[in-house]
Amino acid sequence: MEHSTVEESDRLPDESELLYTYNREVFYHFDKEKGFTQKIEYQNPNNQVIIKQSWDAAEQRLEEVKQLVIIGKLSPIAYYMEKILMEVPMLAAYMEIPKWRVKRHMKSKIFKKLKPELLAKYAAVFEIPVGQLTNPDFLNK
Amino acid sequence: MVKLEFEHRQAGHCESGVTRNLLNYHHFKISEPMAFGIGAGLFFSYLPFLKMQHAPTTSFRVWPGQVFDRATKELGVKTAVHTFRNPKDSMDKLNAVLDQGYPVGLQVGTFHLPFFPPEYRMHYNMHNMIAYGHDNGTYYISDTLMENLVEINYEDLMRVRFAKGAFAPQGRMYYPTFVPKDIDIKPAIIKGIRKTANNMVGIPFPLIGAKGIRYLAGRMRKWEKNLGPEKASYYLGQVLRMEEEVGTAGAGFRFIYGAFLEEASTALNQPWLKELSIEMGETANKWREFSYLGSRNCKKRGKADQSYNFLADMLIEIAGREEKIFRKLAKIK
Repeated sequence: MEHSTVEESDRLPDESELLYTYNREVFYHFDKEKGFTQKIEYQNPNNQVIIKQSWDAAEQRLEEVKQLVIIGKLSPIAYYMEKILMEVPMLAAYMEIPKWRVKRHMKSKIFKKLKPELLAKYAAVFEIPVGQLTNPDFLNK
Repeated sequence: MVKLEFEHRQAGHCESGVTRNLLNYHHFKISEPMAFGIGAGLFFSYLPFLKMQHAPTTSFRVWPGQVFDRATKELGVKTAVHTFRNPKDSMDKLNAVLDQGYPVGLQVGTFHLPFFPPEYRMHYNMHNMIAYGHDNGTYYISDTLMENLVEINYEDLMRVRFAKGAFAPQGRMYYPTFVPKDIDIKPAIIKGIRKTANNMVGIPFPLIGAKGIRYLAGRMRKWEKNLGPEKASYYLGQVLRMEEEVGTAGAGFRFIYGAFLEEASTALNQPWLKELSIEMGETANKWREFSYLGSRNCKKRGKADQSYNFLADMLIEIAGREEKIFRKLAKIK
């Protein structure tokens, strides 16, 4: 197997390779002659790849959950939770209810019987109108 | 209304940068690596049972808040630290402290931080920034990650200060109240180095320090077989994200630490520390090479470009280097 050397990773990034150019950050470098140096630069392209990986994975999870909501296995709460990149413990913290209740609310059957106050609170956390929570546009009902 | 004369300087690591900028404001000159080193910020832990963003937690640093707390304590700087139950109280207190003329460090969640780079806007509750003024519901912010000074409104600021979930900031605010005139930096450096050396090689627990790096290497060898190629690359990506992103200045703070050792060598007049700083710098470059080669596995979904065994071997080598460095550092006098 062929492995590249570090020098290649030290080559100057071509701006067209960069995915994210919103802000430049401080990065430290070391080489034997110059010692430790600091540069203000964009995150290098290899590292940008790993940022993108986590966004891609989030998108993929969202798509999977969406399918489960469409076939009625999960409630829209599961979908909107993924959409704002949360997991159950965090959503429970924002809802100020125990985790097991959030998990329960992710079952479609239970979701249909949820009280309006709870629905309103979920909608507020997800920053969407209640109508969109109870009847997401991708369901086309 | 109040807007303090505050010099904005970017930094590699948010908390060390905040510590440096706050101390500089009070006329105590200290560099970012020095703040990080005295604060004993360097660490390693791999916690497979604690999942973050659907992958095991890897950390290259100590708990949030420790760098500021330790650095100021060791330097004899008096500080005030508050957390709150009630969001409104936290904002009232912030206004009051700003009005008294103190810039204030704030722990915040990044998901709703309006000026933050969009690619980093995930639920990360351990970010730190400085408020240096306010005017009619607008707050002036110096964030060491950002190139420029920024602003945030009352509602948004209250929201990010009360982000929930793991490491919820609970409105945490902190600031130096009294900085002594003649600070002897030497004992603080020695204590900081001892603490980090102990964290890295002195604690008999397999998931942390140099042992933790070896443990991660062992798990990594099995990822592809146990999890399949796609999940393996996601797990690897998670390690690399913690290593290279969210304000590590590269290589999981190893560069900052090397720069600290170099400064420490001069400050203490102990030339052997300079040697170790070079070794640390080379180890940091190894970490960077590891992330460079590893990131190729994350490029095409699930297709491994480098074998996980090869990457694990790199980690074993790194663990050996770090162990050697910190065993020597543990003997500092």
